[in-house]
Amino acid sequence: MNDFSELEAELKKLRPRPASPDLAARIEVGLAEVAGHGTATAGVLPKRRSFRPNWWALGLGLGAAATFLMLARMNVDRPSSKAAGLALITPAPSSPLARVDDNFVPSALTQVVYDTRDEGLHFTEGADEPVRRLRSKKRETMQWNNPQTGASLRVSYPTEEVTLVPISGQ
Amino acid sequence: MENVVTHEEDWKVCFAELGPGLVLFARQFVRSIADAEDIVQEAYVRFWRKQHSIENRGLLYATVRSVALDLLRRDSRRARREAAASADMEQVTEPQFDFDDGAQRELAAALDLLPVEQREVLVMKIWNELTFAEIGAALEISQNTAASRYRYALASLKKNFVVHE
Repeated sequence: MNDFSELEAELKKLRPRPASPDLAARIEVGLAEVAGHGTATAGVLPKRRSFRPNWWALGLGLGAAATFLMLARMNVDRPSSKAAGLALITPAPSSPLARVDDNFVPSALTQVVYDTRDEGLHFTEGADEPVRRLRSKKRETMQWNNPQTGASLRVSYPTEEVTLVPISGQ
Repeated sequence: MENVVTHEEDWKVCFAELGPGLVLFARQFVRSIADAEDIVQEAYVRFWRKQHSIENRGLLYATVRSVALDLLRRDSRRARREAAASADMEQVTEPQFDFDDGAQRELAAALDLLPVEQREVLVMKIWNELTFAEIGAALEISQNTAASRYRYALASLKKNFVVHE
């Protein structure tokens, strides 16, 4: 038998003081505030979207960027075999804008000239007249987009352009 | 599937039944009714927000206990004050029970002298009618430990209080 049954009975006769009437009202307000911040969840939160890099596209992009950087470092001081005209040190814009891959479509090309310098008159070999040499520094940026995945690839590189302007003696 | 408190009226029914016992349990950690009710309010809202089953009473009491301990930790000065108050309870503590006679008052006073570990088990068992398994879950102790604390509490009370015929 339980030795404490009598004592337990005495304890049960003690009546806890009732909660104050406004406690229920306060809880109601608290619950309303919770409801106001959205539906309560049972600890189930939306799953975080994990970042999965597209390694294939990334590798292709890096390869293209390296190619363009190599082209940008070409020797620019060699005069053109033509007597006058434009000495291009980078490929024509149409070339880089070609499709890098079946999935990427060229979408933008910007060319910013940030410095132009007049380097004076020069006499080129075999020419009868001097030419004025103008050197322009630019930054070109090309962008491709992949319509299927929304991925984009942007390549930006510096260029220098030397223009030889014939001087007329007339 | 367990019943889950999902309707506005449900929590009111549950609270009407459990409220006094929850406040009494919270009073084991703080010495004023106002603080105990603050604890119960926060714990009840927290419990509701998680949509726990109201059948899981052990978790409900664990929530009350957690909120109470957080409160004490947040305010160490308050904790010291509560500790000092517990040493001189008769003078400063608001009564936890409604008394019919002096014997009940003596019994309540003897109850206050118990260590808190025993008192919280006794309160959950006597006035909230939790099983030892539920008490163990609430306090994160084994069922046997809960039962032992209960017996120690009764033994201490019996030593300090003579049952009046």
